[in-house]
Amino acid sequence: MPLATIIALVGLAEALKSGGVLPMYVPAPSQLVTAVAQTPSLLTENLGPTVRRASAGYAIAAFCTIVAASLAVTVQRLYGFVYNFSVTMHSVPIIATAPLLALWIGTGEPLQITIAALACQFPMVVGAIQGLQAADARQRELMEILSATKLQTLRYLLLPSALPYMIAGFKIAAPTAVLGAITGEWAGADRGIGAMMLYALSSFNTPALWLAILITGFLAAIGYGFWALVESVVTVSSNNVELAE
Amino acid sequence: MSRDILVDQVGMVFQGRGEPVIALEKVDMHVQAGSFASIIGPSGCGKSTLLRLIAGLMKPFAGSVTLGGESPSAARRDRGLGFVFQSPTLMPWRTVRENVELPQDIMGRKDRRAESERAAALIELVGLKGFENALPHELSGGMQQRAAIARALVLKPDVLLLDEPFGALDEITRQRMNLELLRIWAESGTSALLVTHSIAEAVFMSDKVYVMSARPGRITSVIDVDLPRPRKLDDMRTPAFFDCVNRVRDGLFGRESPVDHTVPQQIEA
Repeated sequence: MPLATIIALVGLAEALKSGGVLPMYVPAPSQLVTAVAQTPSLLTENLGPTVRRASAGYAIAAFCTIVAASLAVTVQRLYGFVYNFSVTMHSVPIIATAPLLALWIGTGEPLQITIAALACQFPMVVGAIQGLQAADARQRELMEILSATKLQTLRYLLLPSALPYMIAGFKIAAPTAVLGAITGEWAGADRGIGAMMLYALSSFNTPALWLAILITGFLAAIGYGFWALVESVVTVSSNNVELAE
Repeated sequence: MSRDILVDQVGMVFQGRGEPVIALEKVDMHVQAGSFASIIGPSGCGKSTLLRLIAGLMKPFAGSVTLGGESPSAARRDRGLGFVFQSPTLMPWRTVRENVELPQDIMGRKDRRAESERAAALIELVGLKGFENALPHELSGGMQQRAAIARALVLKPDVLLLDEPFGALDEITRQRMNLELLRIWAESGTSALLVTHSIAEAVFMSDKVYVMSARPGRITSVIDVDLPRPRKLDDMRTPAFFDCVNRVRDGLFGRESPVDHTVPQQIEA
C-alpha cells in the first residue's frame, strides 16, 4: 500500500510536469533519474561521507549518552549537570553553533561529526535518563537486599529496564543525526549531501537540489526505521509484563 | 544454619509535612533461630515498616535490630537474608531460571555448577520444573510468587522475611502456597518472619504470632502456637487451632471480659 501510494504520487508528478502545470523549479521525477545518470558522481561522492559522518556522530552521542545518563542517575550530584547540559545544547540552534565550532576545530570531518552528535543527543539523553529511573521501588529494594553495588544495580536492573525508553530516544534521534551532519557540511565541506546542496543551489541545478532533499529524507527514514524494527523485536518479548499482581 | 531475629526497643518516626508520625513505638521481638513467626495487625500499623527495619532497608529511629548478633546490613552481605515482597518483583526480561539465579550473579559465584544445581533444585521444590525458561509474564501470579520464593532461598539465607507474599492470591491458591511454604521452610531450616492480614494464616504457619495495633504501631500481644509440626490442613479443624485463633482475635480486637487462657490446672481438693 505505501509502495502504491509512492508510485501514484510519482506518476502524478510526472504527468503534471509534462502537462506544464508545475513551474520550472520543480523537476519531474524522471529528471532526477537523468541527473544521477548523467553525473553518477553526485551520489557516489557525496552519499558516503554524509552517511559516515552522521553514523559516527550518532555513535559517539549514543556512547556519551549511556555513560552520562548512567552517571546522572547513580551520582545524584551529576544529575542536574547532565540534564542541564543536554537541554542547553539542544536549545541553542545548531546553525548558530556550527560556525563557532568551525572556528574552534576547523572545517574537517571532526566538525561534521561533532555537529551530528550535538544535534541528536537530546532525545537520547532524555530517553536514557527517564528509562534509567523506570525501575520500581521494590526492584530497587531487592538490589539493596542483595547488597548489589551501584555498578551491579546498573547492570542487572537499571539498564535493562531502561531499554525500551532508550530505544524510543535513539529512534527519534536518528533522523536528527543526518540533519546535523548536513548542517555541519554547510559550515564547510567539499563532499557530502550538504555540500552537494550548496553547489546545486549556487549553480541553479534544481534536479540535484531535489535529489539532495530526497536522499536526506531517505537516510533519516532508514535510521528511524532501523530502530523501529529493533523496538518491535525487543518489546514483543516484554509485552504484557505485569510488575505487580 | 539460622539466626535469631532480635528486635530491641525499636522506634520509628516519619517526618511528614506536618506533625512527625510515630510509626513504631518500643517494639520488642525475639524470633528463635529456625522458628516461624508472624506479625499480624490492621493496615497502617507499621508491620511492613518493621519488616523493612529488620531487613535493614531502613534505620530505626531508636533501638536496635540484630540478626544472629549482626546488623541487618552485615547479615545481608553474609547472604544471610532472603526477602519476599508482596508482588513477585521478578525481572521481566529474565527467565525463571535467570531470576532465581540473580542473587548468585550479584553475590559472585564460586562453583558455577553447584550453584546452578542449587537453583534447579529450588525451582523443582517450588513446583516450577519445566518452566525454567519461561518469562515471568508467561506465568500466573502464584507461579511468579513461587519463583520469587525460590529466588529468596537460593543463597540459603538464615533469615527469610515475607511481606504478605500471598496477599494477592485467591483463597484456594493461598492455602496451597502456605502448605508449600511450610514444607520449603522446614527443609531449609531458616528462621522465617511472615507479615500477614489473615488470622488463620498467621496461626497455621507460626510458632509465635505477634499482634500489632496502629497509631502508634506497637506489639500488643504475643501468642505462642503449640500445634505439632508438620502441619496439615486438617489441623485447622482442631480445638487447639481455634483456641489460638481466638487468642489472636482477642489480641486484635480486645475483649470485654478477660478470659484466662492458661490450661486449666488440676483443682486441688
